[in-house]
Amino acid sequence: MIRQLSVFVQNEIGSLAGVTSVLKDNGINLRAIASFDTPEFAILRLVVDQPEKAKELLFASGFAVKVSDAVAVELEDKPGELDGMLHAIAEAKLGINYIYSIVLRNGKAPLMIVNTDDLLKTTVILKENGYIVAEQEDLLS
Amino acid sequence: MIWNETKECMSRDEIHNLQSVRLKKMVDRVYHSVEFYRKKMQQMGIEPGDINSIDDLRKLPFTTKNDLRDNYPFGLFAVPQSEVVRIHASSGTTGKATVVGYTRKDIDLWQECVARVLAMAGVGKNDKIQVAYGYGLFTGGLGLHYGAENLGATVIPMSSGNTQKLITMMQDFGATAIACTPSYLLHIAETLEEAGAIGNIKLKAAICGAEPWTENMRKEIEARLHIKAFDIYGLSEILGPGVAADCEFHNGLHVYEDHFVPEVINPETLEPCKEGEVGELVFTTITKEALPLFRYRTKDLTSITYDKCECGRTLARISRFKGRSDDMLIIRGVNVFPSQVETALLEIAETSPHYMLIVDRINNLDILEVQVEVEERFFSDEIKDLEKLTQKIARVLQSALGLSVKVKLVEPKTIQRSEGKAKRVIDKRVLV
Repeated sequence: MIRQLSVFVQNEIGSLAGVTSVLKDNGINLRAIASFDTPEFAILRLVVDQPEKAKELLFASGFAVKVSDAVAVELEDKPGELDGMLHAIAEAKLGINYIYSIVLRNGKAPLMIVNTDDLLKTTVILKENGYIVAEQEDLLS
Repeated sequence: MIWNETKECMSRDEIHNLQSVRLKKMVDRVYHSVEFYRKKMQQMGIEPGDINSIDDLRKLPFTTKNDLRDNYPFGLFAVPQSEVVRIHASSGTTGKATVVGYTRKDIDLWQECVARVLAMAGVGKNDKIQVAYGYGLFTGGLGLHYGAENLGATVIPMSSGNTQKLITMMQDFGATAIACTPSYLLHIAETLEEAGAIGNIKLKAAICGAEPWTENMRKEIEARLHIKAFDIYGLSEILGPGVAADCEFHNGLHVYEDHFVPEVINPETLEPCKEGEVGELVFTTITKEALPLFRYRTKDLTSITYDKCECGRTLARISRFKGRSDDMLIIRGVNVFPSQVETALLEIAETSPHYMLIVDRINNLDILEVQVEVEERFFSDEIKDLEKLTQKIARVLQSALGLSVKVKLVEPKTIQRSEGKAKRVIDKRVLV
C-alpha cells in the first residue's frame, strides 16, 4: 500500500497552483496528481515521495490535508491490463471509490492507484490474481 | 385618494392634542396591566400622572427586541388572552420568535391603516389586488389582505412561491394591483417579459415593502411594468405593514401618527435628533390594545420631517431607510441576524465558528450564501462526505433562519479574521 495526500481546495483560479508551489518550494517530488471536483470545491489527491513532510508543510500553509492509504498496482503497458484488474476487484464484490494513475516511472511499469472500502482485501485479491502491488518505498526517487 | 381625511390631514396642533390624550390613556392602562412596564417606570421614579402630554413622551422607558424576547411569548400583552384574536410571529436573534398579538380593535386599526396605504396608492373598490406576501405567521400576507378587504377591493390571496400561477391569474383575472416585495416584483416583471406578456396585464399599482429598496429600483419597476410603485413600511412589533407609506410624490413615508408616535434618536446618546437628521427610528403605540409598546427601538435609520406634504397630508414623513443600527439583514422579507447563523453552526460539530454571509440579488431574488470553513480535524477526503456535510449545514440553517440557504465550504483560515468585531456579512445587493 502507498500513502496519498488529499487536499481540500476551492474551485477557484490558482487554487491548485497554491498547493503545488508549497511542494516545489520544499523540494517535494510529485509522483501523481488527480483532482476530483464538484461545482464548489475539489479534493486534490497527491502521491509524493515524502507524504508526512508534505502534509506538515501544507497544513502549516493553511490547507485542510489528510493522509490516507491507497493500493498502487503495477500494470503492464498493453491492452486489457486495467480491465483485468478491475474485474478482479469487482468479482471480489469491492466497490471502487476512485482511481487515478502514475504513468511515467523511469522505465518501470505504470501504476494504477485505487481506493476501495477495504484496502487490505483489495491488496490480497490483486496479489492472488498475479498483480504486483507497490509499496511507498517503491515511489522514492 | 385620501381614505381618512380627518385623521390624515389634521393640523399639527390637532395631532399634538390627539396624541397627548391617547398617550395619557395608554400609559395609565399599561401601567396597571403590564408588570414589565410598571416595574420599569417605578425604577425610573415615574408614575402615570407624570405623563400629561405627548411632550412627556421622553420620560418613558425604551423598549427593545430583547425585551420582547425576555418576555416570550405573551409577557408584554396588556389584555387577557380571551381578548386576543390573532397572533403573529417573526424570527428572533436566538431562535426564539418575536410574538405579537392583536385584539379585534387592533385588527380594525391595522386594516384601517392598510386601507389608507392602498387608497394613497390609488387602489379602490373597483380594483383587484394580488397579495403576494407570505400568508401565515409573517404579517405581510394577512396584513395586506385585511386592509384590501376593508377598502372594498377584490383580494386575490396568492401568498408567495408560485410565480407562474401568479402571472396566469394576473392576466386571466385582470389584476390591477399587487402587493409583494420589490425584488419579487422585479422577478415577476422579468418572467412577464420573457413570456412576452407585458402587454396582457392590466396592473396599474404596486405596494412594495418588507425589504430595503431604493428610488432607482422603484423607477425600474415603474418603467418595466408601466405602473406606479409605492413604498409601505411596518414592523410586526408595532403593527405589521401599514405603519407608514409614501404617496404619489414619493417624498418620504407618511407615518400614521394618530396611532404610532415616531421619534428619531441618536442610537449612541439616545438624545433626539433634529428634524432632517439621520438617527434611529423609535415608535410608541398610542392605541394598540394587546401589545402596546413604549418607545420601541426599531434599529432602522431614517430622518423625519413635519412639513405638510404636497399631497395635502399633514402627517410626519420619514425618509427612505439609510440602513440599520444593528447587523440585522432583511432577506426576502425574513429578518436574519448573523448571530443566528453562528448559534446554528455551533450545533454542528464538524464546522468551525468561522463563517461569512454573502447576500446577493440574482435575477432580482435575494440569495443568502453562507461560507463555512472546512475544519482540518473533520476534513474527510471523500467528496460524498463533504457533500453530506454541506447538505446538513444547509438543513440546519434553513430551519434556524426560516430561509433557504446556499452553503459553500471554503478552505481553512480563508475567512478574514479581524480584531474586535468580526466582519461577518458582505451585502452585494446594490441599493443606490
